[in-house]
Amino acid sequence: MMTIFRYALRRLRGQILGWGIAFALLGVLLVSMYDTIAAQQEQIEDLLKFYPQEFTAFFGDFSAFGTAEGFLSIELLSYMPVILGIFAVLTGSGLLVSDEENGQLDLIMAYPVSRTALFLGRLLAFVVAAVAILAITWLGLVVPMNWSSMDIGWGTIWLPLLSALAVLLLFGALSLFLSMVLPSRRLAATTAGLLLVASFFITGLAKINQDLEPVARLSPLNYYQAQDAFQGLNGAWLAGLFGSAVLFAALAWWCFLRRDIRVGGEGGWRLPSLPFRRRAGAGRET
Amino acid sequence: MSENIALMTQGLTKSYGKVRALRGVDLEVQRGEIFGFLGPNGAGKTTTIRCLLDLIRPDGGTVRVLGIDPQADPVEVRRRTGYLPGEMQLDPNMTVEGALRYFNALRGNKVDWGFVRQLAARLDLDLKPAIKNLSHGNKQKVGVVQALMHHPELLLLDEPTLGLDPLMQQEVLRLIIEAKANGATIFFSSHIMSEVEAVAERVAIIRKGIVVEVAEPVSLINRALHRARIRFKQPVDVSPLTNVPGVTVLSHDDGTSVLLQVEGEMDGLIKALAAFPVSDFETERPSLEEIFLAYYEGDQKEG
Repeated sequence: MMTIFRYALRRLRGQILGWGIAFALLGVLLVSMYDTIAAQQEQIEDLLKFYPQEFTAFFGDFSAFGTAEGFLSIELLSYMPVILGIFAVLTGSGLLVSDEENGQLDLIMAYPVSRTALFLGRLLAFVVAAVAILAITWLGLVVPMNWSSMDIGWGTIWLPLLSALAVLLLFGALSLFLSMVLPSRRLAATTAGLLLVASFFITGLAKINQDLEPVARLSPLNYYQAQDAFQGLNGAWLAGLFGSAVLFAALAWWCFLRRDIRVGGEGGWRLPSLPFRRRAGAGRET
Repeated sequence: MSENIALMTQGLTKSYGKVRALRGVDLEVQRGEIFGFLGPNGAGKTTTIRCLLDLIRPDGGTVRVLGIDPQADPVEVRRRTGYLPGEMQLDPNMTVEGALRYFNALRGNKVDWGFVRQLAARLDLDLKPAIKNLSHGNKQKVGVVQALMHHPELLLLDEPTLGLDPLMQQEVLRLIIEAKANGATIFFSSHIMSEVEAVAERVAIIRKGIVVEVAEPVSLINRALHRARIRFKQPVDVSPLTNVPGVTVLSHDDGTSVLLQVEGEMDGLIKALAAFPVSDFETERPSLEEIFLAYYEGDQKEG
């Protein structure tokens, strides 16, 4: 399993560095700007009053913009899970199926590695990659605090990032599960991506329209804590997100143990035959 | 199951939706045997091999590989097996050596790296380049090396010489023969008749998901139709030859020469010819390819 893990993590190193450094640089920029923003707090608050509520609902409490926690939340943490969610969705959906679709899994699975070891090795690589991206982001926030008046404890900054990690793992595991049951990686990534974006909008809109609250309760991002996390994490919400991630990962594992390793489109969903479609299976190498 | 049997399938069935890829495949391969698995594209060769490694799960039937049920203990089957897939795909960002070292790591780093270098040298394979810069033939060589490098008890090779030039094809066949000499069992699929004829001790012909024939290549050839051209010292009436069972006259030139088609043994014809003034007797042996095509003539007519 550790060979699979090391190899999978090495393949993810580009993504770890790319996503991590991008968010770390954004963090450096934001923390460095904070003193200037704080000095102009009154003017900015006046400006923010003119922003429509439909817009501000997605980014948190604008009245707290002048505080370090509010500033970081509005400028970075509020949308970070959606952006990093792209990484989670693409990586999760391709964790096994990407190699299956390009034919590499056929050979790897012919080696003395159990399906469980292969699954867990790659899943662990994804988890470590997500933690690494958030750790690099964390560094980008805490290092520039040395020359900024922003005063948030190094450990406290981990709290919203921990909540973001739970969201990333949930969407990664969901994408992995979908890749096991849908005919292609692309369809799994598209479906999970749509759910991610829908979750973001429903959670935001539910803040201004109470009729959406019952739907928002089903939305994973409803339980993501950005600014609120600085006052202490809601343990039940965090456990719910991590628990859902574990559930989807377990379902994906269960499916992976029972399914065929596909080559050349074997085993996918079969759409109803239409007159203009080629007959299914024609010319296929079996 | 006898200990001498390396591989066995009984009534193996597998469908992909409405496509019935295997419709009851029965096979038995002895230990230490080179066994050829013949069939055109879509006959079920790859599906059968993938069932043997538990890459896909059959809908029905029994499979035993080295005495093990691949679904019950796939890791043990794969530990003792070397596999070359029909379409060799590797991580394009790795070097050849990196890919082989990764495969070695998956086998617990038990491979003798000197043997890997020896195999690569024999196949004229450079270990330095990135996989993405390799030709199809060179990727196939990587596949051959990774299948052989741990001295497996059983080799499952799906079109092992695909994409290789004739010299390398010969080298791969030599490696197969050497593996057998070292005690390995080789089960390989192919539709190149000459290579099957050259190395296989027995062949199975699969047609539409069913094994229609299992025999030694020589026996298949001997059992098939032969052509015989007979020249006589003087013009003769060849009509008595048409009474010999299995003999058909294809052409008869001015009474001094006749071209016959003989099905099965030649014994009856030779005895009948004792009564004729024969000056020359010439037979043509059919190739395995002709025999193979004969199994599929029915399909083409049906089609």
